[in-house]
Amino acid sequence: MSGLLNFSSNMFVVAFFLYCAAFILFAVAIMGRRWSNRDPESHRRKWGNIAFGVSSLGLVLELTYFFTRWAGGGHIPVSNMYEFMSFLSMMVMVAFTVVYLIYRKTILGLFAVPITIIIMAYAAVFPQEVQPLIPSLQSYWLKIHVTMAAAGESFFAIAFAAGFMYLLRTVNFSSTDKKDRRQQRWVEIVFFSIILVISFIITVFAFRAAGYESVFTQTKASGTAGQTTSVTQTVEYKLPPIVAPYHSKVESYQPFLGMTKPLFSAPSWMNGINAGRKFNTIIWTVISGIILYGILRLIARKPLGRAASPFLDGIDPDDLDEISYRAIAIGFPIFTLGALIFAMIWAQVAWGRFWGWDPKEVWALICWLFYSAYLHLRLSRGWQGRQSSWLSVLGFLVVMFTLVGVNLVIAGLHSYAGTN
Amino acid sequence: MGKSRKKVQIIILLLIVILGGYAITTQVSGSNGKPTEGSKAPNFDLLGLDGKVHTLDEYKGKALVVNFWGTWCEPCVKEMPALQAQYDKWKDKDVVIVGINAGEDKMAVENFVKQVHVSFPVMLDPEKDAIQSYGISPLPTTFFVSPNGKINKIHLGQLDLQTLDQQIEELVNS
Amino acid sequence: MMKEVIAFKNTKCECGHQNPVGTVLCEACGRPLEEQDRESNEVLEMRYDGMARRSQRANPNFIDRIWNFFSSVKIAVYMIILTLLGSMLGTIFPQENTFLNIDPSTYYKETYGTAGWIYYKLGLSHTYESWWFVLLLVMIGASLVICSLDRVLPLYKALTKQRILKHKQFLTRQRVVYQGPVELESKEWVEQASVHIKKRGYRVHTLDNALLAEKYRFSRWGPYVIHIGLIIFLLAVLARGLPGLHMDQHVAFPEGEIKHIPNTSYYLKNEKFTVEYYSEQDLPKEFQGKNKVLPKLFKTQATLYECTANCNDPSKQPTLKAVDHHNIEVNDPMDYKGLKAYQFDYDLTPVLRSVKPSLVDKKTGKDYGTFQLKIKDPERNYKVGPYSLELKEKYNDFGLDENGQPVTKTPNPNAPAFLFLIKGPNLPAEGVHYFYFPKQVDKERFQQDAINAKMNGGSVPLELDVKGMGNVDLSMSTTYLNIRVDKAMPFVWVGAAIVMLGLVLGFYWQHRRIWLRIDDGNLTLGAHTNKNWFGIRREIAAILRKMNLEVDEKSLDNGGNHS
Repeated sequence: MSGLLNFSSNMFVVAFFLYCAAFILFAVAIMGRRWSNRDPESHRRKWGNIAFGVSSLGLVLELTYFFTRWAGGGHIPVSNMYEFMSFLSMMVMVAFTVVYLIYRKTILGLFAVPITIIIMAYAAVFPQEVQPLIPSLQSYWLKIHVTMAAAGESFFAIAFAAGFMYLLRTVNFSSTDKKDRRQQRWVEIVFFSIILVISFIITVFAFRAAGYESVFTQTKASGTAGQTTSVTQTVEYKLPPIVAPYHSKVESYQPFLGMTKPLFSAPSWMNGINAGRKFNTIIWTVISGIILYGILRLIARKPLGRAASPFLDGIDPDDLDEISYRAIAIGFPIFTLGALIFAMIWAQVAWGRFWGWDPKEVWALICWLFYSAYLHLRLSRGWQGRQSSWLSVLGFLVVMFTLVGVNLVIAGLHSYAGTN
Repeated sequence: MGKSRKKVQIIILLLIVILGGYAITTQVSGSNGKPTEGSKAPNFDLLGLDGKVHTLDEYKGKALVVNFWGTWCEPCVKEMPALQAQYDKWKDKDVVIVGINAGEDKMAVENFVKQVHVSFPVMLDPEKDAIQSYGISPLPTTFFVSPNGKINKIHLGQLDLQTLDQQIEELVNS
Repeated sequence: MMKEVIAFKNTKCECGHQNPVGTVLCEACGRPLEEQDRESNEVLEMRYDGMARRSQRANPNFIDRIWNFFSSVKIAVYMIILTLLGSMLGTIFPQENTFLNIDPSTYYKETYGTAGWIYYKLGLSHTYESWWFVLLLVMIGASLVICSLDRVLPLYKALTKQRILKHKQFLTRQRVVYQGPVELESKEWVEQASVHIKKRGYRVHTLDNALLAEKYRFSRWGPYVIHIGLIIFLLAVLARGLPGLHMDQHVAFPEGEIKHIPNTSYYLKNEKFTVEYYSEQDLPKEFQGKNKVLPKLFKTQATLYECTANCNDPSKQPTLKAVDHHNIEVNDPMDYKGLKAYQFDYDLTPVLRSVKPSLVDKKTGKDYGTFQLKIKDPERNYKVGPYSLELKEKYNDFGLDENGQPVTKTPNPNAPAFLFLIKGPNLPAEGVHYFYFPKQVDKERFQQDAINAKMNGGSVPLELDVKGMGNVDLSMSTTYLNIRVDKAMPFVWVGAAIVMLGLVLGFYWQHRRIWLRIDDGNLTLGAHTNKNWFGIRREIAAILRKMNLEVDEKSLDNGGNHS
């Protein structure tokens, strides 16, 4: 059994590196057009095909990871954060493959493959062990609801890529007009958000490789009048503590860069044992994100949007708009069925009520309403093109918040297992 | 087509207003199903210590004070003498005070009632049916019900012995 | 009077067809009616194929204004966005309905401080039940009804009244256009082309030198099917609130007892409750050795009874008949005639149900016999051998109040105590008082012997002793079941299914039409679709290729924004 699980983990890692290779090959296909002594069109086609081949091979290996983990773990691997995010990355590749086969636009690979890579890396942040299913997850609805929801969301990811590409293609980066400047700034903000995610992953892995750990204890008195009990809980920080949990004591502190104790304590309204640690993680993410962004700016010597824009020259923006819309048109029914309807059926069977306004359910509804508004707005002439692209970018951010933010920040019945 | 179209429009808009109004009012008021001040007092069907079955209808036309209590609850015990005094005072003025015990054994209730010298009607709610239909959470809870069957006031926690007299007077006049 | 004169337009087309007022493109030949429109080269406005739409009339009266308000797509989008934003607010703090037993007026302030207090005061602690949220949903419902009614009929009329031969301008100003010479004679070309077009699933109508091909018209109804589904869904949700169609309560069922389900004529008995945990080996390495307990399964073996007589009389015992039996697990509720019981929670604290103590002579050890003492609702009088025991007092959870008097601290049988008056041979005439704690821990904690000695001015010659666990009846667990009735649910699912049908019809197929005409050896082709212009361009390029006309897909694009 564990031999199979080891094999599946290895498949995951190899698939990851294949995707990285595919990304580099797509970059060669697009950016190498200028420097190749061949006709740019055939250069793009040749390297584009090679890149697509590599990414498809990666997908096959990722599918192998998926099915071998299923066999080894005894249940479909979508029940905790690690498994779900890996599955999502796989579905994004599937969606990319479908859209690529329809439209054959090489440059889509340059933007879609990194999404898969980032999601896979993000998945690896979380505990990877196969965890047995608690009774409420022991249902075939688990397979159906979660997989379909991920499938729908993966098409939204492709729409995000195409929409972002549209913006990079059409926003006027050399203009100083007020409207254009606003668009430039927002494009830069999207870049920064992506960099935040990347730097979070890098930071976590860097400190994990160094084996960093600091421990705090927090004692809370609770109980009814006359009888107080005190409960002491421990929390382990895997990143150097800049902020300590509210009202806690240091049990062990590994110094970092001359920091030997936390700089400040979490405010009183963040009084859970894990709230301080999560706040610390956010602070670290922002700091490292700013550093990484700074480095990239130094290398590019201009805002990232302006640096990336030339690579999209020669692409018909209408095509990008079309791809973005089509991806949402394909994904929306799948999302409705998987994330809402099957979710309602499962909730009815498991908890006796098909809708309870649980934060996860509400945010799934919010995603649905958002894309519903998108589809209605497209009926109106003025909303196609630029506005649509902004919406498809924003929409995916809403989806990611639903998947990540709600689980980690807002509590409820719905949180996954193993999200420390 | 013109006139019939207008008729169709009006019918549809009316339907929407009716359904919409129904939706909003049911959500906003009493969505828990718990009775609130101003709503009708739920019926109860309980066996009294006198061996007879009592219902809410029995007390129609009289002002009714329904006190939910238990022997373990200190404030409930503390307010018993005051309730008894009020019962004696208002007995002939069409005011009834009724105690509903929350799920205890008959013996425990009988002993308690004897000990504290309570003579107003006391009923047993062993399955906590009345507790549920009245939406009782903390004990003691006292419902002041007007002679027409509507809930005049809901008092959570121990009764204010000084204002109890006043409250009953208000109830009679409501 | 002047207004009517100015509003009067010549709506008779060149081709001879008389169009209703408000028509944009002639119903017969498709030629634009307005002078300005004819001269422009812009892509045609193809909504409803250019037919007149009733609701855009002059002088809207009050009813019309409300109607138009709800019919507008822009307003619908606003309402969707407002609902979206409102929903977000409800996720900031846990809502009132997630708790079973708190007082909202204090909870939010205590747990979240000022922010919590503001949240509560604004009514956001029950966002989804607030009047403005429900109002938004009602308005969306109104919009669904009205916008669909307003559009379905004109669309139906536009699509069923199609003519084959269209004016050239109708074709050249579509978004997909091809113009070029053809070699064959026009009728022959049209015939050959229709073969290829039919192969692609189109329904083809020819008229000499013109052709109209159409496929997947049903896809246009997609959005309206979605709207109908949503309307049914919303109505079903509303119907759930009607009395008798809905129930939701949490009830505790101690093992082995038949308990009444409030507000129904049903009783349920928790025959046995089991919980299984994952063994150490099953847990991942990270969790092992940390005493982490992960439940694998919990189930209640339950029997459902229905009351057949004496149901509402509290002075009599109801007659029960067993009607259903089910092993209730999470994801597998009991379902009997619409009454459902879901596994919700459990409690493994054992609860004492009854004991069978023996009356024993302390000095000689002689056992006079046993009697059954029920913890809940015990009998008053017992006879054991020559002795009579009268139960004087019972305490569920024994304790002493501030005056040192015995009271019961809670209604739960956590520390039961009984006060007996024992009369019989070798005892004083007025009897001896005997305090009895069935649980050994309580006996020691409250010093039973000391109490009895104090009460009687000396030790009591008799005692009650439970000899062995065989004489103790415990309820090993209590299961918490969520009892629900939801008669409107089938309609909820019907509504949802119709929504899915509409989504699939509307998004996975597209309505495509091709018009072409050949005049003097020149082919003019125009095509229209409601979605996916890329796809129809590809298809037309393929068709033309079959007719030996090589075209680049992109060149078919005649501009205009794409949907």
